[in-house]
Amino acid sequence: MRLHISSLIVRYGKLTALRDITASAEGGKIVCVLGPNASGKSTLLRCIAGLQTPTRGKVLLDGASLLRLHPRARASKVAWVPRSSEVGGRFTLRRVVELGRYALGPSPARVDDALATVDLLDRADTIWHEASAGMKQRTSIARALAQRTPGGLLVLDEPTSALDLRHIRIVSDVLRKCASEGDLVIAAIHDVALAIHLADTAFVLRHGELVLAGQSSAILSPGSLGEVFGVDLAWATDEAGKRHLVSP
Amino acid sequence: MKPRHIFVWIVLLCVLAACCFARLMITRSISGELSFVWPESTYIGYRIVPMFAAIIVGGALGVSGMGLQVLLRNPLASPWILGLSSGAGLGVMASMMIEHYRGIGIPEGETIGAVAGAIVALVAVYLLSRGHGGLDPVTMVLVGVVVSVICGAGIMVLQHLVPMGLRGSFTTWLMGSLPETMSYVRLGILGGVVCVGTLLLAWWGPSLDAACLSDDEATSVGVHLPSLRFRLFLVSSILAAVGVIIAGPIAFVGLIAPHGARLLLRSNHRMLAFGSAIVGALLLVCADDARQLLDLGTGRLPVGILTSGIGGFVFLLLLLRGRGKV
Repeated sequence: MRLHISSLIVRYGKLTALRDITASAEGGKIVCVLGPNASGKSTLLRCIAGLQTPTRGKVLLDGASLLRLHPRARASKVAWVPRSSEVGGRFTLRRVVELGRYALGPSPARVDDALATVDLLDRADTIWHEASAGMKQRTSIARALAQRTPGGLLVLDEPTSALDLRHIRIVSDVLRKCASEGDLVIAAIHDVALAIHLADTAFVLRHGELVLAGQSSAILSPGSLGEVFGVDLAWATDEAGKRHLVSP
Repeated sequence: MKPRHIFVWIVLLCVLAACCFARLMITRSISGELSFVWPESTYIGYRIVPMFAAIIVGGALGVSGMGLQVLLRNPLASPWILGLSSGAGLGVMASMMIEHYRGIGIPEGETIGAVAGAIVALVAVYLLSRGHGGLDPVTMVLVGVVVSVICGAGIMVLQHLVPMGLRGSFTTWLMGSLPETMSYVRLGILGGVVCVGTLLLAWWGPSLDAACLSDDEATSVGVHLPSLRFRLFLVSSILAAVGVIIAGPIAFVGLIAPHGARLLLRSNHRMLAFGSAIVGALLLVCADDARQLLDLGTGRLPVGILTSGIGGFVFLLLLLRGRGKV
């Protein structure tokens, strides 16, 4: 699988959210999208997932535009996890995960597997509106896992923003496993340290422009990120000799 | 189907059958005496017709309400939120005026006026609510309210222009009432329309479930929202129009029936479509039974008054129960 973004521009009235973005990524990798607030991360992800029509430019998956596909056909190629989910009815978490199989046919085994993966199998009968923010976020991730086809595209908008440390680790491992099965995983991540740990490739946005793109180990440094976010950053080394990005 | 669902279905259908039987049996003499006897063959038609009318109208409004609550993403949506009843009301008022001033009787004038008014209101709401991505739920509610207000103003102008006698007839129509005479063929056709509408919404049940997610999420799991919203708008409007054609604007049934079905069945939209139809039918047959039992000394009340009155209290109860206050 190959994703190619060419000359992408998105405008909301007079506001330009994305300015001439050109980038590409290959299947089997984790791409982290980083950037300050309002830098265009969510808009870029929505364009990549085929949920938003850009003002100009193209997003091509294996040479074909996702926007031209019927949502049913697109659902078999792309799974999407929003920053926060909305559910209007009185659904259980299991039912919300089952909706991921809407276009692909029911699969109780895939649903159970997805719920177990995000540590929700024993809480699957909780009503959505009574679930915590973290449970809701894990449910959205489980829905995408139940929907995803290995070798497809998995797009996640801040998938760990409501999770505790243990579940951040679980989700990181899941994303790594998806990539190892050939998926192209693209995630907007606010936690820069997590992004450095997770990403094979990074796209860094600022004011709607792609200011850095490439192999994460090469481009994510205290200097480059400090400049983008407008803060002082530095490496710190722990007792095991591992480097961590810190804000002194 | 879960055992709980089977039990609820059996109870609902038994209660509906009992209410229908009661509707046939309740007899009030001219002196106001109440009795429960099987009617003479001459009069039985006057009870069978309103009974079936109540089942058809209640079912139509219940299913229409469920469809609109999903379409508009609003638990308070009902068939009248799209300006359908005020549009139909304006049409009826206009047809009454034409009949009065032209001195001619238009065959089925009220029905034609109601259907024409409802269609004009719905087409206006549809055209004004369309955006790039199809029908927009928020715009649709706002446009529906505005169209209702405009039609309401038109109704008031026409009421101001017509003589007192006509105002009375129109007020009675506005209250909503079940007909005692109607050809069985016509009832059959309208009942058939309601059955088809219910089956369609049940068929689209999984799409309705998925449409309860946000727009992005629903699209990402494979729902073509513009197409689904157009189909829901069309079928829900036709079902509501069936209700108006038979009984005029009956309030609250379309709002409460889907909530009642959700409360009882706690299920997906496939089952809720049938549940809303049965609960809607049950509500209206019950209201009609209550209307026969009530004697205020001024003739029987229009059934619409009972659905509004009882429905309002039931809805408040549901609302307070949902907030843990009851």
